[in-house]
Amino acid sequence: MEALSTFGQLLVAGLLTGLVFALVAVGLTLVYGVMDVVNFAHGEFLMLAMYAAFGLALVGIGPLVGLPLVAIALFLFGIVVYRLFIRRLLAGPPEATVFGTFGLLVLMQGLAQALFTSDYRSVPDPPFAATLHLGALALPQAALVEGLGAIVLTGALFAFIEYAPAGRAMRAVSEDRTAATLMGIDVQRINTLAFGLGAACAGAAGALLVLSNPAYPTVGASFALTAFVVVALGGFGSIAGALLGALVVGVLEVLGGYYLSPELKMVPVYLAYLVVVLARPQGLLGRR
Amino acid sequence: MSATRGHLLALGALVVALVAVAFGVRDQVTLELVFTFLLYAVLGQSWNWISGYAGNISFGHAIFLACGAYASGVLVTAGWSPWLAFVAAALAAIVLAVVTGFPTLGLRGHYFSIATIAVAALVEACVRVVPWLNGANGFELPIRNGWSALEFAGKTNYVLLALALFVAVQLATLALERSRLGFYLRALRANYAAAASVGIDERRWKLLAFAASAVMASAAGVLYAQDTLFVDPPSVLALSVSIDIALIGVVGGLGTLWGPAAGALVYVVLAKGVALHLGGSGKGYDLVIYGAIICLIAALRPDGIVGTIVKAARRRRGTLGADAFAAEAA
Repeated sequence: MEALSTFGQLLVAGLLTGLVFALVAVGLTLVYGVMDVVNFAHGEFLMLAMYAAFGLALVGIGPLVGLPLVAIALFLFGIVVYRLFIRRLLAGPPEATVFGTFGLLVLMQGLAQALFTSDYRSVPDPPFAATLHLGALALPQAALVEGLGAIVLTGALFAFIEYAPAGRAMRAVSEDRTAATLMGIDVQRINTLAFGLGAACAGAAGALLVLSNPAYPTVGASFALTAFVVVALGGFGSIAGALLGALVVGVLEVLGGYYLSPELKMVPVYLAYLVVVLARPQGLLGRR
Repeated sequence: MSATRGHLLALGALVVALVAVAFGVRDQVTLELVFTFLLYAVLGQSWNWISGYAGNISFGHAIFLACGAYASGVLVTAGWSPWLAFVAAALAAIVLAVVTGFPTLGLRGHYFSIATIAVAALVEACVRVVPWLNGANGFELPIRNGWSALEFAGKTNYVLLALALFVAVQLATLALERSRLGFYLRALRANYAAAASVGIDERRWKLLAFAASAVMASAAGVLYAQDTLFVDPPSVLALSVSIDIALIGVVGGLGTLWGPAAGALVYVVLAKGVALHLGGSGKGYDLVIYGAIICLIAALRPDGIVGTIVKAARRRRGTLGADAFAAEAA
């Protein structure tokens, strides 16, 4: 009985962890779906958002009130990065986007280290620090808020892509760039919008993550590495796939950390990725 | 064949210059930087075989470096000659390349790249768990001196050893560019469906290239361990090591003979040299400069340093047509 309740607790913890991964992964998969770019600097966008949310908290604006501000700031940052940089990478060979965004990762980490040092910065007196007890389950409130945020954000993004005119244009571009251009869609505008939205997702994620995580220069890398696996597991470009992949990864990681050892928590995740991708090379919900 | 003679002359000139540096320069820090440059040039070229010529971008190449470093650690600790480590490392690297490459080399694009990250992480987990690999502690080699121990008090002999390995790897790559394997790999990279339709067996040739690439990296791993005398999972198996190797390959130019050397030069001068002069890498200035350079190359010269030079030379000779055709096919 106790083993069962432990398993239940781990399962819930895993699902909540998975929702946090989904938060980071949806922006990544959106950008990939529209313009075939894996933004390796996505984690650094997240890092920037966490520092921004931390800064706002210092002047008295809490993370949840600050969330829309950080998201808008990151949206504008994403647009600038696309216009100045990503657009040029897209004109080059396919590997240019891989290494260009890697360069951006190194540059942003270096800048953060130079400007903010490597110290951990935690929001003072964060809200939702308490733990909620539901029967035998202990649920940290911060994780619940983050999970709820992930569900709202993923739902909003999904609805936008499905129903908004700009979202439909994004789907058109992701299906066939040439045909979309012929139908009068300005691909550069759609790309700019998608990249901005992807960055805004990282912004929202960062504002939520400071509830339970400190900001430091390499914080993004630790989340982004998992997010890459999540996105590939779910299928590059699929938002539903990112959510499903994130839940699978979250549960496997928490179970692995408990039943194997904290050091080996990623082993079941990577094994699952290899098994899935060898059976289904396009990931769980990806298109061929 | 005059191009071949040009490459051989350049290689010869480099050997003469670096041998002179090895014996002429007294400053051990400079010699260590030269050694690091040559080691990374070898690692970058080894990565270039599978990721540049064959087009499978790997973010897990450090596992083959680790084969060599750990072969040294295990054998020397057990009292065997470090020279045997070259053989053991090569065998381990071939087995690892075949076991991991057979299922994954057919994956396309980013799915392959993420799979290499997964494989490297699993290898690191195994190293941490297997008792005779000493887990998180790794190996500390005893301090000795002489050719039989493959350890030296000064850095001159390390530079010479790395130079010998670099020359061997450059000659092998020169041969690859002119061989059937080289043509097959480039055909598969340009358009695997078209290449498969004329009977090129993707798995077979890519496995061959992957195994050869793994052996080169493992030899570099032995030299690395014999120089630093310390091997543990973070120093040879971290994701950042694999990414450094990949960035060197691409900054220089994918699928070019001299690209990895050019990339390694940029890496050593900027990442290591700048860090030395700005007082350690803790402040992040080295990352800012290195990151900015990668960004600029990716945006302005996406073919890399050597790739840009090669294209410019072809344009002058009017033989760019073949490249344009290959790009069209891709």
